[in-house]
Amino acid sequence: MSAALAALLDHAAAPPGGAAPRHPAAEDAPGVLPARTDAAAPVAGYVGADVPVELLTAAWMLPVRLAGSPAEDAELGRGYLGGGLDPVACSVLTRLLDGAYGRLDALVVSRDCEASLRLFYVLRELRRVEPEVPIPPLQLVDVLHLPHRTTTRYVLAKVREFRAWLGELTGDPISDDAFAAAVAAHDRVRGLLRRVGDLRGPGQRRLTGTEALGVVRAANSLPVDRAENLLRDLLAELRTREPRTGHPIHLTGSSHDSPEVYEALEGAGLLVVGEDHDRGDLLSAHDVGAPTELAVAERYQFAGPAAPRASIRDRAAHTRAAVRDRGAEGLLSYVRRYDDAPPWDFPAQRAAVDVPSAIVERQPYGEIDPRELDRALAELRAPAEVTR
Amino acid sequence: MSAPARKDRLPSAAAATAHQREWFAELHREVAAGSPLALVNADAPQEVFRAMGIPYVVNQWWASIVAAKRRTPEHLARLRDRGYPDYTEQYSSTSLGSAFDPDPGSAPWGGLPMPSIVLAETTGDASRKIFDVWGEQPGVTFYPLESAAADSVPERWWELMPHRWEEAIGRDRIDLMTGELEGLIRFLETTTGRRFSQQRFTEVMALVNEQEEWNRRSRDLIATARPCPIAVTDGIPAVMIPQWHRGTTWARDAAKRLHDDVAERVGAGAAVCEGERARLMWIGRGLWFDLDFYRRFQERYGAVFVWSMYLAIAADGYVRYGDDPLRALAARFAAFSDQLYTPPWSAEWYVKEALAHGVHGVVHLVSDDARGSWATTRALRAAGVAVLELHADNVDARRSDPAFLDTAVGSWLETDVLPGTTS
Ligand code: SF4
Repeated sequence: MSAALAALLDHAAAPPGGAAPRHPAAEDAPGVLPARTDAAAPVAGYVGADVPVELLTAAWMLPVRLAGSPAEDAELGRGYLGGGLDPVACSVLTRLLDGAYGRLDALVVSRDCEASLRLFYVLRELRRVEPEVPIPPLQLVDVLHLPHRTTTRYVLAKVREFRAWLGELTGDPISDDAFAAAVAAHDRVRGLLRRVGDLRGPGQRRLTGTEALGVVRAANSLPVDRAENLLRDLLAELRTREPRTGHPIHLTGSSHDSPEVYEALEGAGLLVVGEDHDRGDLLSAHDVGAPTELAVAERYQFAGPAAPRASIRDRAAHTRAAVRDRGAEGLLSYVRRYDDAPPWDFPAQRAAVDVPSAIVERQPYGEIDPRELDRALAELRAPAEVTR
Repeated sequence: MSAPARKDRLPSAAAATAHQREWFAELHREVAAGSPLALVNADAPQEVFRAMGIPYVVNQWWASIVAAKRRTPEHLARLRDRGYPDYTEQYSSTSLGSAFDPDPGSAPWGGLPMPSIVLAETTGDASRKIFDVWGEQPGVTFYPLESAAADSVPERWWELMPHRWEEAIGRDRIDLMTGELEGLIRFLETTTGRRFSQQRFTEVMALVNEQEEWNRRSRDLIATARPCPIAVTDGIPAVMIPQWHRGTTWARDAAKRLHDDVAERVGAGAAVCEGERARLMWIGRGLWFDLDFYRRFQERYGAVFVWSMYLAIAADGYVRYGDDPLRALAARFAAFSDQLYTPPWSAEWYVKEALAHGVHGVVHLVSDDARGSWATTRALRAAGVAVLELHADNVDARRSDPAFLDTAVGSWLETDVLPGTTS
């Protein structure tokens, strides 16, 4: 494995936030974050791909996207969130309450799906009724996605609110220069991620879906300049790598915050060459461009199309294009239990592509039922020699 | 939403149900004659359609009719046949099953006529998708409304909503919804040829406020009356059917009739249950497939359900005064479901209502959905109210067998509630 890939995947496997260096003065200044130093950025944990990370970077914080862990018990979080909610949110809440992310100096939640919004409401209520539970300063960034001018106006107001909140939290308003630099840096990382994505396409196949997932996960939690350097190295190293083998499929349905399902699919002879998840290709599909609040608002409003927030029609059109661009020979929808949107997308997605398709529904978090996998493999007509 | 016929049926409930049947038959005639028809979610701004004279059916009302006739499983099976899930948001997706009915004439009440527009807020992850599927049906347009969320809210919303709604909900959310409604009006003017009169709309908004003020008086009467004067299964249709007709004089007068019925029964000392021992609150949507449920406990235990969200939310959740009726309408719906489902609003409100009604216990229906129950249950228990979380689904009878419901509620009454009441 290449050195850059190894560094990225190592980082992806490390506990998010856990390894972040701490500023020595952090404990002394409640309310206001430690003064910025290059060695000790305060950490902002965030939930969902709709949080404008540019603003966190511009506030000299390290944005770390919080991931759940299917291997850990999530009963504590489930007790607060209820039995009918996406288990990812239950896991994230459990880990937050257990301190599994290390110290977070801020917690920012978007409403990329209903589970994230409910997670925010529980955290807000916990702060109100159980103030002894340590929860970092908390903010909702309510990015909405209907493609209308009225929505843009609203999202712009939310972006401004978020910028002002960060200024108050750090005691230092975000400067236009820092804002512009952060926008440019995150756009560069997205551009590099797109180039890494292209290397999953036809005639290339330079990395597995599991590896690509790890690369995105690392990019979601590394300082933006470190991510940029590692991705540049990765691109250089992948150029000479042998193609990965497996029956190429596009993966749709639930988003994956851990590698188990990708590993199971690829262990069974598939090769995930693309996905329409925001922890995959969708993360880097759109840039901000101009260093303005409006550009940030429109970038996040028009991000996606992610299953919980986009229309069935947009999803189907996107799936069709993604399957074609990556030369996928099958479409697989993997749907986690209590992730309610993806199964509604599937009939239109299936109709939009001209490759075999299959859906596995109501799967446990981080797992795929082996019999369901076998059925899906047969429906995808994955070549017999590469199946188990 | 039609309760079993009984000789002691509340006259306003019987009148509302009769009116609904006539209205629905008339609706069939109008649609057959070429009228546009809207299918709208319960928490969507129906007042715009009312003002423009565009008939509409409320999605959840129709689901409750289908459930009461025990036809929900067959509706969900039609979704399954088309590759859609039958296990998410069944309360919202039942009507979509009607759209795929090969024989609508044999459906309850002559079937749901095919709408030309469907209106819903983009709440939840599945609800929006359900309406997307509607929008793919020939001749149907889906008009989605944004559903915005607030970072922080004042707790005692019910004190602020009538006049200070801007403060309660926040300017950004109301601006957004107002903009959406302006778009909706233009869309309806353009596609139906019907006119939006600001004067007519102002009248509609005034009638709604009047109606909800009657509901408020009825709620307050019931809260303080001992014994409980009306059955919850009467109260629900007597409130909700007029709610679906909000903005008409019939609906305003129906709310007043309910109030007068309640006042008369309170005056006469009438009791739903002779020998009332415990007063109960029901949190959650109605158990449409088992409307006898509520009565079984008063017969067996003297435990009376004195509260459901339907009258209480009518009393506290709708009234909006102000000079700009469109903005007031936006304020009615920009945070509607937060009142019922989002803490601290929901939690604090249920506590307020439990205390005002002097209940001894709360049965909290917890479905397998994303709404969550912890904050509400916690707040009630912290206020000293006994709570039973009843894990069941309100429309899907496949998961809610009466024997299970009766055992769960019965044993909770015997151990947690009745010992603490003085009969
Ligand atoms: S911070 Fe850098 S060195 Fe440390 S694990 Fe992440 S990528 Fe590797």
